[in-house]
Amino acid sequence: MLRIENISKIYKRGHKEALKNINLTIKEGEFTALLGQNGAGKTTLINILAGNVHKTEGKVIIGGYDLDKNPLETKKIMGIVPQEIGQDYIFTVEDMLRKQSGYFGIKNNDDYIDELLEALSLQDKRKSTTRQLSGGMKRRLLIAKALVHKPKLLILDEPTAGVDIELRHSMYKFLKKLHAEGTTIILTTHYIEEAENLCKRIIVIDHGEIIADEPKEKLMDIFSQEIDVRFEFDYDIDIEDFDFLNGYEPIVKNNRNLYIKVEKNNLSKLMKVITDKGLNFIDIDIKRPKLEDIYLNLIKS
Amino acid sequence: MKIFYNRLGFTVLLYREIHRFFKVFIQTIFAPLLSNILYLAVFGGVLKTREVGIEGVNYLHFLVPGLTTMGALMAAFQNPSFSLISQKFQGTIQDINSYPISDVEKSLAYILGGTFRGLLVGSLTYIATVPFVGFGIKNIPLFIFSIILTSFIFASIGLICGLTLDNFEKMNFILAIVITPLSYLGGVFFEVSKLPGVLSHVGNINPIYPLVNITRYSYLGIAEGNILLHGILAFVFLSASFITSIILFRKGIGIKVR
Repeated sequence: MLRIENISKIYKRGHKEALKNINLTIKEGEFTALLGQNGAGKTTLINILAGNVHKTEGKVIIGGYDLDKNPLETKKIMGIVPQEIGQDYIFTVEDMLRKQSGYFGIKNNDDYIDELLEALSLQDKRKSTTRQLSGGMKRRLLIAKALVHKPKLLILDEPTAGVDIELRHSMYKFLKKLHAEGTTIILTTHYIEEAENLCKRIIVIDHGEIIADEPKEKLMDIFSQEIDVRFEFDYDIDIEDFDFLNGYEPIVKNNRNLYIKVEKNNLSKLMKVITDKGLNFIDIDIKRPKLEDIYLNLIKS
Repeated sequence: MKIFYNRLGFTVLLYREIHRFFKVFIQTIFAPLLSNILYLAVFGGVLKTREVGIEGVNYLHFLVPGLTTMGALMAAFQNPSFSLISQKFQGTIQDINSYPISDVEKSLAYILGGTFRGLLVGSLTYIATVPFVGFGIKNIPLFIFSIILTSFIFASIGLICGLTLDNFEKMNFILAIVITPLSYLGGVFFEVSKLPGVLSHVGNINPIYPLVNITRYSYLGIAEGNILLHGILAFVFLSASFITSIILFRKGIGIKVR
């Protein structure tokens, strides 16, 4: 669906090197998260795909079409939700979506526009101008605009920034539905749990380079060599009772919870040590690291 | 790359450019119309007793094609220029990069949108003068053609300004410091040859001068200078402005980041 080969970008103004030799292939039907700090190069990469930024070097193939040779064909395949909320203040929501359909050569698209407005909870605002919309509504309108031509590849640049939790969750549901219907999705976000919930593949960009690109489970597996285990007891415990666990950095909290850090490969050995001592715990909780921890580790390293 | 790619997309973009100015018709149609009528009333009233205009021609008759041309060119210039600057201001300018519409189609949509507004304001300006001077155009097809030609050239110039400038202040500066003085020095209100000193020669490099004279020729049957030369100059200005606007669009000046 998308092939990026040796893409580099040096902005003429300021001579800033925003992307360094990026190589990336996204297959049809993937749901990929593009993570990175502000200024890491995510938006530059998306803007190159959108045709908003001239790349310095490299090649981009979208749906089999070369971005340099057949840019107009690539536009039919992509729908892009930009990071910045920009809206035309003159036209109504309905007007705007009809015109957007027309720009993509689609006539009589009202049925699909209705569907989109309903899915994005904007049906009551179809006659409103964008001045009358809240920030969250404007974001959802941007998504509707990007979808009117039913793109095969949807790229969302921080679509949930500033959107309240309830609406964010309804957007997740909507994106999952789109993905289930076959849309390939690339999502950049600052909400790590969003990537964790939605995406199957995680790409991390830092200082213009891809520093990680793995299926989510694999990435989490690589970085979850050390796991946290909590044992709960139904009687008060003391740290001195656990001298035999010194290698595992034991910590006692709330007098009844024992926390231990253990290498994943040593988990069964730890369990044996605990049971051999005859400790009667009533609950056990094994905590794998969250994507957020992994992401922070990656960025730091 | 294809020159014409998406006819419906082009039509909708053109419709957007026309729909946009109709939505704010008080500013875009009524205001210039009113100011042109005021020009006719004030300048016509004051200057009709002086020795201005073409000898033997009623000054009001001299003024009508000038005002019509000025109304058309101002409106045509403002449509694409303000549309693009508004999109830059609203943060929607890069939307245009996402449409599968060719650069020539995009340029033409903006230019023809401006041309339509120029033709509309020019025609309404003329109609508004009829109660003052009566109806009387020597060559109606040439008169309409001249308003369309003027509008097309200035819509192209407006597109060039909309792409290259990045805010309303700069656009207003161009209007106040370049376009309006060129109108005054382009034979709208009086003959350029009667201007003092070096200003009497400015007409030769002023795109408004030949356009005013072609319109005046179509209206009165006579005009200042050589009408054939005006025609050639108009064609040169038309080609230069249209080709430049397409090149700028293709290079992404003002809409893409390098």
